[in-house]
Amino acid sequence: MFGPFRITSSLGGGLLWKIPWRLSPTQKLRQRRRLRAVDKVVETLSNALAKKGETLKSLERWKAEMPTEAEMLSKDKYTMFDRKEKRYRKGIHKLPKWTRVSQRVNPPGY
Amino acid sequence: MSYFRITLHRSAIGMPKRTRGVLAALGLHRRSQVVFHPVSAQCAGMIMKVKELVRVDEVERPLTKAEVKAERTPDPGFYVERAVPRMADPTISPSSSAISAAVKELGRVRSQGQGGQEEGLEVRL
Repeated sequence: MFGPFRITSSLGGGLLWKIPWRLSPTQKLRQRRRLRAVDKVVETLSNALAKKGETLKSLERWKAEMPTEAEMLSKDKYTMFDRKEKRYRKGIHKLPKWTRVSQRVNPPGY
Repeated sequence: MSYFRITLHRSAIGMPKRTRGVLAALGLHRRSQVVFHPVSAQCAGMIMKVKELVRVDEVERPLTKAEVKAERTPDPGFYVERAVPRMADPTISPSSSAISAAVKELGRVRSQGQGGQEEGLEVRL
């Protein structure tokens, strides 16, 4: 238990990353702001192209399939589906590069 | 003719090569860099690929590099004063002829009085 060769998780295994299992309120606030920023970019593109009378397949598809920040459930904003997790949900911050990728929809029923 | 004003807000470090390639194609190489592209479906498609990393506005005309820098530069809080020529106003300052007359008068008095006459000498301008 004591002494120089005690085994703790960080000393025993070397690298130890501790990711908290849920987001803090400020992380959730920033996540909502990022979602809104992406919504704003999509809206700007859509308005600009509509003025010129052009359409864009990827833009139309995004608008048809993806909910906006206001339409999303908080469950989908802060957690995502994972088949290996208990109750099939994990925090969205476990997703690599989670602040710079879009992860909005989850399998229906989960 | 309107333009997209695209600012790279988030770094592309660690993003896939495709994403970095799209940013390079847009001409974005560093964070907070601003580029302008005419509104077109092609350009909009490229922005859609990197929508999480950029901020986009629609503007009427593209700004030059100097104009973009100027809007980022804060107010320095000071300004440099320059010496300006005084305005010729006879009611406030004497005219040049009056000054030259006074200087002549001073020279005449100096040449005359060598001794203690210097004290109490007053030339009114």
